[in-house]
Amino acid sequence: MKAGSATDVADACDLRFGQVGIACVRVRRVDAAALCDELERRVRAAPQMFARAAVVLDLSHLLNLPDDGAVDALLEAVRSAGMLPVGLAYGTSETEALARRMGLPLIAKFRAAYEPAQSGPLAAEPAPRAEPAPAVQREPILSAPPPGSMQGALHHAGSVRSGQQVYARDRDLIVTGAVANGAEVIADGNIHIYGGLRGRAMAGAQGDGKARIFVSDFRAELVAIAGQYRVFEQIPRDLEGRSVQCWLEGDKLLIARL
Amino acid sequence: MTAEIIVVTSGKGGVGKTTTSASLATGLAMAGKKVAVIDFDVGLRNLDLIMGCERRVVYDFVNVVHGEATLKQALIKDKRHDNLFVLAASQTRDKDALTQEGVEKVLDGLSEDGFDYVVCDSPAGIEKGAHLAMYFADHAVVVVNPEVSSVRDSDRILGLLASKTRRAEKDESPVTQHLLLTRYNPARVAIGEMLSVKDVEEILGIEVVGVIPESENVLTASNNGIPVIVDATSQAGQAYSDTVARILGEERPLRFIDVPKKGFLQRVFGG
Repeated sequence: MKAGSATDVADACDLRFGQVGIACVRVRRVDAAALCDELERRVRAAPQMFARAAVVLDLSHLLNLPDDGAVDALLEAVRSAGMLPVGLAYGTSETEALARRMGLPLIAKFRAAYEPAQSGPLAAEPAPRAEPAPAVQREPILSAPPPGSMQGALHHAGSVRSGQQVYARDRDLIVTGAVANGAEVIADGNIHIYGGLRGRAMAGAQGDGKARIFVSDFRAELVAIAGQYRVFEQIPRDLEGRSVQCWLEGDKLLIARL
Repeated sequence: MTAEIIVVTSGKGGVGKTTTSASLATGLAMAGKKVAVIDFDVGLRNLDLIMGCERRVVYDFVNVVHGEATLKQALIKDKRHDNLFVLAASQTRDKDALTQEGVEKVLDGLSEDGFDYVVCDSPAGIEKGAHLAMYFADHAVVVVNPEVSSVRDSDRILGLLASKTRRAEKDESPVTQHLLLTRYNPARVAIGEMLSVKDVEEILGIEVVGVIPESENVLTASNNGIPVIVDATSQAGQAYSDTVARILGEERPLRFIDVPKKGFLQRVFGG
């Protein structure tokens, strides 16, 4: 299996399930010097917490989006205060263009909630691509394909082991094998698992509410479609070990035997 | 002629890696192979105790890695088998004392010296020591106990074996994986307190290469510095012999996985 390239890390810092702790700096006015002073004070007060902390710059509370030079100055202010800016918080399309110009990722907690499915491939682009400092270290995502149109499904033959992650970007994922406890399979399209699902499966990862999950032996820890998820502390008796499918109706995640 | 490198690993601690390493190495030596067994658990060395050579350690693995001693000086010859050698870990250092280049150098040195097998006793965990122990492996013996946390950790290790080894990185044929179930207690399996062989095989998706029954002989043997495989009268010893034979390609049926049937008198008077 191949090691993930830089782009594959995108999903490792996706905040969809709140697994990543990144400090968010909400900028109230464009004053780099003041920002630096304030952050420096925070870092000094709680270095354990804030020194070299990954920081997302949130510009959404400014009346007008500052120009590139000003944003650069703000980022530099964060850096000189001893924190590490890693991206911009998700905002308007202007923020998106700015992030693109600056080569910074946009980071959002529940991307799907900000950008419903209709926005298509353009919305798929500004996902936090070249995240320089992912806060969680994961196994490299196995065999993520390059983005593109119509590519069929990604087929993963064999088991997905605990701690591994398989991501099918812009397409369906087929797993012929088991997904172990602590393993994660993610697809922007549907997910088909011809084996036991004991770990997590997340379909419609870019917000496609029509995506479905099909499992031939259901024992999942968690299933999610387009950010709507269900956690199974106890697997319902009538579903355990059965073939099931999961789909969204409105924002309700439904599961039924096949 | 290069030596076959076998890593004994598990992820979880206390499942019987070192016991298995000692018996596996001894079993291979009993089959006439020239074998070295290396303790990768730098800082928490135990293998020398199980092998009964703790008082003969002068130079260790870390000394060789750092070029402070030659392999010849550091290899300790087993007192029972002339073709079996132990390379002890250093107790006073930590895992960072090992480097990938250093480990490779030692393994290459053993190949040049005509060793058939090198058994690498991995430390618990998935950090540097465990990584280095598995990195150069051709075979892996994943030791698992019949309980859920051990099974999950083994699953993780199986994933790492498929992605974080030299064979995986060079796109060569994958590391051959053997699952060894230890501390198996058929009576407790029967009443549902332990996972069965079938459960474990099903969860991990690979077959077991051996099942070692839970046995007092293991503890006694360990305390006396005698690998349990040497004790041919014990069930654990026989199960290890079977396992070694299977790893060498022989077919042998699994033993000691069913509850022993009680005789009439035992049933009447309690066993």
